[in-house]
Amino acid sequence: MGRRTVVVIVAALAALGLAAVPILLALAAPADLGGLAPAGDGSPSGEAINELYWFVFGICAVVFVLVEATLVLFVLRFRRRPETAAETEGPQIHGNTRLEIIWTIIPAVILVVIAVVVLVRSPAVEATGGDRSDELVVRVEGHQFYWRYVYPDGEIALDTLVLPVGRPVRLELTSYDVNHSWWVPDLTGKRDAIAGQVNELRLTPRREGSFEGGCAELCGILHAVMPTTVEVVSEAEFGDRLEALGGQDQSGDSQLALGEATWETSCAKCHGPEGAGDIGPPIARLGTLVNEEALRELVTEGLNNPDVEGYMPPVGRGWPDFQLQALIEYVRSNEALAPPEGGGGGR
Amino acid sequence: MAVRTEPAVPTWREGRVTGWLTTVDHKRIGILYIVSAFFFFFAAGLMAVLMRAQLSQAGNEIVTEDSYNQLITIHGTAMIFLFVVPILAGFGNYLVPLMIGARDMAFPRLNAASYWLFLLGGLVILSSFLADGGAANSGWTAYTPLSTDEFSPGTGQDLWILGLHLTSLSSLAGAINFIVTIHNMRTPGMTWMRIPLFVWAIEAFSVLLVLVLPTISAAVTLLLLDRQVGTDFFAVENGGPVLWQHMFWFFGHPEVYIMVLPAMGMLSEVIPVFSRKPIFGYKAIAFSTIGIAFASMLVWAHHMFTIGLPDYLQAWFMITSFSVAVPTAIKIFNWLATLWRGHLWFRAPLLFCLGFIALFTMGGLSGIMLATYPVDYQAHDSYYVVAHFHYVLFGGTVFGIFAGTYYWFPKMTGRMYDERLALTHFWLMFIGFNAAFLPQHMLGLMGMQRRIYTYDRGGLFEWYNLVSSLGSFLMALAILVFVWNMAKSWRSGTRVGNDPWGADTLEWYATSPPAPHNFDRVPYVSSSRPVRDLRQRLRENGS
Repeated sequence: MGRRTVVVIVAALAALGLAAVPILLALAAPADLGGLAPAGDGSPSGEAINELYWFVFGICAVVFVLVEATLVLFVLRFRRRPETAAETEGPQIHGNTRLEIIWTIIPAVILVVIAVVVLVRSPAVEATGGDRSDELVVRVEGHQFYWRYVYPDGEIALDTLVLPVGRPVRLELTSYDVNHSWWVPDLTGKRDAIAGQVNELRLTPRREGSFEGGCAELCGILHAVMPTTVEVVSEAEFGDRLEALGGQDQSGDSQLALGEATWETSCAKCHGPEGAGDIGPPIARLGTLVNEEALRELVTEGLNNPDVEGYMPPVGRGWPDFQLQALIEYVRSNEALAPPEGGGGGR
Repeated sequence: MAVRTEPAVPTWREGRVTGWLTTVDHKRIGILYIVSAFFFFFAAGLMAVLMRAQLSQAGNEIVTEDSYNQLITIHGTAMIFLFVVPILAGFGNYLVPLMIGARDMAFPRLNAASYWLFLLGGLVILSSFLADGGAANSGWTAYTPLSTDEFSPGTGQDLWILGLHLTSLSSLAGAINFIVTIHNMRTPGMTWMRIPLFVWAIEAFSVLLVLVLPTISAAVTLLLLDRQVGTDFFAVENGGPVLWQHMFWFFGHPEVYIMVLPAMGMLSEVIPVFSRKPIFGYKAIAFSTIGIAFASMLVWAHHMFTIGLPDYLQAWFMITSFSVAVPTAIKIFNWLATLWRGHLWFRAPLLFCLGFIALFTMGGLSGIMLATYPVDYQAHDSYYVVAHFHYVLFGGTVFGIFAGTYYWFPKMTGRMYDERLALTHFWLMFIGFNAAFLPQHMLGLMGMQRRIYTYDRGGLFEWYNLVSSLGSFLMALAILVFVWNMAKSWRSGTRVGNDPWGADTLEWYATSPPAPHNFDRVPYVSSSRPVRDLRQRLRENGS
């Protein structure tokens, strides 16, 4: 073997070795397959996606190995030997019609098979079949930069969604600002939340637990830190949790809890947990925080005035009055945030 | 007979610098394109290294969230509009007239205008980092409403639109120039079934550009009007968010093939020469080029499987996307068949072609996975997609571009590059590339979304990210080796003759570098391998 051949083979082995590192890492972490397949086994529709994934992956893996093996074999077998002169030509073969037809038809047939299987399994993926009479419908709003969930009776939850195990769920996704995409990989695939339209995502959580997710569509500077958690709990616990959310529109603990959640998801991500400023300016003790009119205008219009430094998203679009009220009550109740007495007024 | 002799007084146009600034010679314009495009490649690559540095560990704070979004936007925009498309146009400019035996492009002045528009557009896009509020930060896809004045108030987005207009205009004029040249200026005997496969690829590239560029130009014009004049083309109540995606991807997906087809054309030139065989299945490759170009315009909504399209459209766009795989597979099989029983000469151009086949196969197959729309529900907008399109566009196109660069470097400069540095470049790049992008498939399926500037997961997730970042640094090192090789060899490489590779096509009949008028006499062509025919005749006459 020539020196160059040795170099080529050694380098090829090195490349393969390096490529094997992530695979070995993956094998060392069996819990979530280390990313070799989608994670979603938390619902039958997620499971249906996984089955299709493995089906197509299997076919692709066979094709991949065949093509790469052929390539490596040809490289080794047909390399120019040291005794061969540079100008020596190989056999002058210009083509073969029969081969062309064969390798046109085979990929086409494989692809048709994949397409048929996918279309047959589509209802399972979309979870449209079965008895869905007790379906739970939750409205999901993507906002810059938090998730707002509204249960059938109007209870509001922010960033954390509680779902009962084993019950069909229909998420109705929309947005009041830019595009977002709701993705909790352990449960099922993602679906976009787009302003001006309502998209549906159906799933039936099949085991209890806490599932992490986030926004998958670039939505602005805090796109990366727009997480959501889905807590799948027993039907009984779900009832308790929902009941605890009741009364958000009246003075009380429930209202303060909503106000605190609103502060944490809509205000604190930019202005800091104490309102002392972070990406956004400090807002603690500003009169606007407790002035209902001014606050409503600020959170529904945002700040996008060329004369004012910075940009604030319209975080409060779609809020009912009681959510704004809850925020104001929470600010009033928090010593670090509440403006001094009599300090109400505009900015 | 009295011969009037005038001393050759160089005019200002023939100066060392002004000669390049005022040139209308397709070869000089080609080199200007290639060098400028590589400059933008290095700039956009540097942005990628910054992004990978930021993501190498959980919770890094190397760049801010806002700068990160500017980096992803300009990295993507620059790689596509300022590197891949223009450098392919540059190779086309340099090679098409030589390959078809013409003296120049059909419209030399328009050709120069195309180059200068491209350069201006590139400078606008790069310098937009200095704008008030920084560069555009809504991604290279500039989805509305995020890119509207309401959510992206800075001037960066407007400069991005201006830059896109300039480069689109450049590409459009260039594409028309290519089409006119290829259709009208082929030398006698150069029939459609004899033009080099690279010329076929440039033809398909140009036709696609003419068909789809107006869509993106219209889309960004409407966006500009919305931003500056207050029109409502992309208003939410008019279904604007989805309208933008349709307009963008009707251009955006064919753009992928615009970027891949000429690189495939380069492979179809290089592989036969370094196998010492004719290309296997010339017609199959030429027609599959057309097939890919046609099918590429029917698949755009596979970028939109999660926006809530009706089931029948999901099915339709999955099947059309699958259909692109067939002509692509035909090309791969024909290249493999060309290698079969050849005498493979392992120089850098061939190695980069083999790298293309190995990596593009991976990108093509992950494309099948993504086109399977239920799988896309998980993989869409995740790092799986990032890995996929880098396997296609870097593992494929950029490896093809390096193959072409090393292959035609002796023709363009008259000098040979340094083989040892070129092989070092290849192996660093091949290993670095796989380290950078293979783990990204797993990251995507583990739930890492695209375009996030930070993450807080440790363990395997963080390890994959670290390996990916280290791979990108290795690629940066490979690029330094490449630059050093080019700079050194251009100045002091060994001189070469017309045809250092024993190649087949007409550009190797011209001198290295070719004279301004390309050929002393009009070449006549009687097959698709005219220079080999010439060698055969010389050998027969000599014996």
